[in-house]
Amino acid sequence: MNLMAMSRELLTAYIALELLSFSLYVLVAYGLREARSNEAGIKYIIIGALSSAVMLYGLSNIYAALGTTYFSGIAAALSSPATDNPVLWVGLALLIVGLGFKLSAVPFHMWAPDAYEGAPLPVTAYLAIGSKAAAFALTLRLLAEAVAPAGDRWADWQLVIAVLSAVTMLVGNLVALAQSNLKRLMAYSSIGHVGYTLAGIAVLGDDFALAAKAVIFYLVVYAITNLIVFAGLASYYNSTGKDNIADLAGLADRQPFTAAVLAIGLFSLAGLPIFAGFTAKFYLFAAVADGGFLWLAGVAIFSSLVSLYYYLQVLRQIYIEPAAPESGTEGDAAAEHGGGHHDAEPEQDSLPVPMLPRPSITLSATMGVGVLAVIWLGIYPAPLLAVIEFASSAILPMG
Amino acid sequence: MVPLLYYQLLSAALFGIGLYGVLARRSAVLIVLSIELMLNAVNINLIAAASYLNGIGRVIAIFVITVAAAEVGLAFAIILRMYRNRGTVNVDEINLLKW
Repeated sequence: MNLMAMSRELLTAYIALELLSFSLYVLVAYGLREARSNEAGIKYIIIGALSSAVMLYGLSNIYAALGTTYFSGIAAALSSPATDNPVLWVGLALLIVGLGFKLSAVPFHMWAPDAYEGAPLPVTAYLAIGSKAAAFALTLRLLAEAVAPAGDRWADWQLVIAVLSAVTMLVGNLVALAQSNLKRLMAYSSIGHVGYTLAGIAVLGDDFALAAKAVIFYLVVYAITNLIVFAGLASYYNSTGKDNIADLAGLADRQPFTAAVLAIGLFSLAGLPIFAGFTAKFYLFAAVADGGFLWLAGVAIFSSLVSLYYYLQVLRQIYIEPAAPESGTEGDAAAEHGGGHHDAEPEQDSLPVPMLPRPSITLSATMGVGVLAVIWLGIYPAPLLAVIEFASSAILPMG
Repeated sequence: MVPLLYYQLLSAALFGIGLYGVLARRSAVLIVLSIELMLNAVNINLIAAASYLNGIGRVIAIFVITVAAAEVGLAFAIILRMYRNRGTVNVDEINLLKW
């Protein structure tokens, strides 16, 4: 993953991408006896291999047109008006298609929900956080060093990436409304977040600093927030072995720490203030609007609003729905309206709420540190932004 | 010498045939075979370009051969697991994960 972020050249990027992908193919299929894990593995490896072949064909076309695979070489060739080789355009387009597969941007996202749902939960977390952040680092580096310096040619590609981003945001958030499996919901939610981040990448332009900083900050916040959400889901799964949204009913009474962490994580993903998600989205959408893509910022805000609905669906299950009693009897309508009140009906009183075991030490520590980080970054992001500015000025060309 | 364009056309044709194979085949083994065909089309493109431009394309081609071999090994391991679990390699029949 680090190799992907460090690469200044297409071949290194491809090798690093494949190295990461191979590990993930095996990990997704790791549940040897589970049918869903197997199916997720097959779908992921076939679609992943197809996408890497497409990206490689793009690489070979760029090489055939230019004779170089260095990002700086591509930038030099694109900046000079003499370059007008259609093979180069095809190559760049296919390269972006291949990267889009890895990022699960929308026309290329079909593997993501199946792979996320079928894989074992820690692997889903790793897919959502690690591979996505690494793929974004590569995309940011590739576009900032190889294409963005090209001036007016970059404006065409900016429009392409902006349209991709808008479609990704809309599809990711709208389809998530219909999901009932937690891992699949997180898959579509992360597709939505990919859309927002792509919007930030689309405005890399004259003002590299703001857009690049906003994208990197958004990725860091996305990583931490997804970490705590998946840690919460993992602690629930370890206790009960279920992963549907409806199974989360009454979690607030059964595992209060996990419920609180999930609430904070989902609010941060939705972008509510005092949590890091708000600060990240604020910077990102401000950068997008500054870059001249006001329509894209509008679509982003609309999708962010839509995403709040499905995150709140999960929270409704956790906090408002009563925990299902062991015998499986349905509560009265009065009991459901009363929420967590246990003295509503005599039948409910006789069955105590089954408490779940507390999450393990490592999960609790992860969740605790993550929650502190999310709240701290939401209120006082300045130190992290200073670090990001230092890092991005070192690796991205300024101006 | 044959113009570079002819090699690129050959490569594009092979890539297209491979892409058709991936999309239209039902057996997972044949899908992996088609992916191999696509990667070999890329290799032809790289080596032809390297011959005309005298660059590092040949080195890239060797990397690609290695990566393709590793990928096929992994893909077959997963397909073997599917065969052991279900008795078929027909990808139309794996449809537990839907909308």
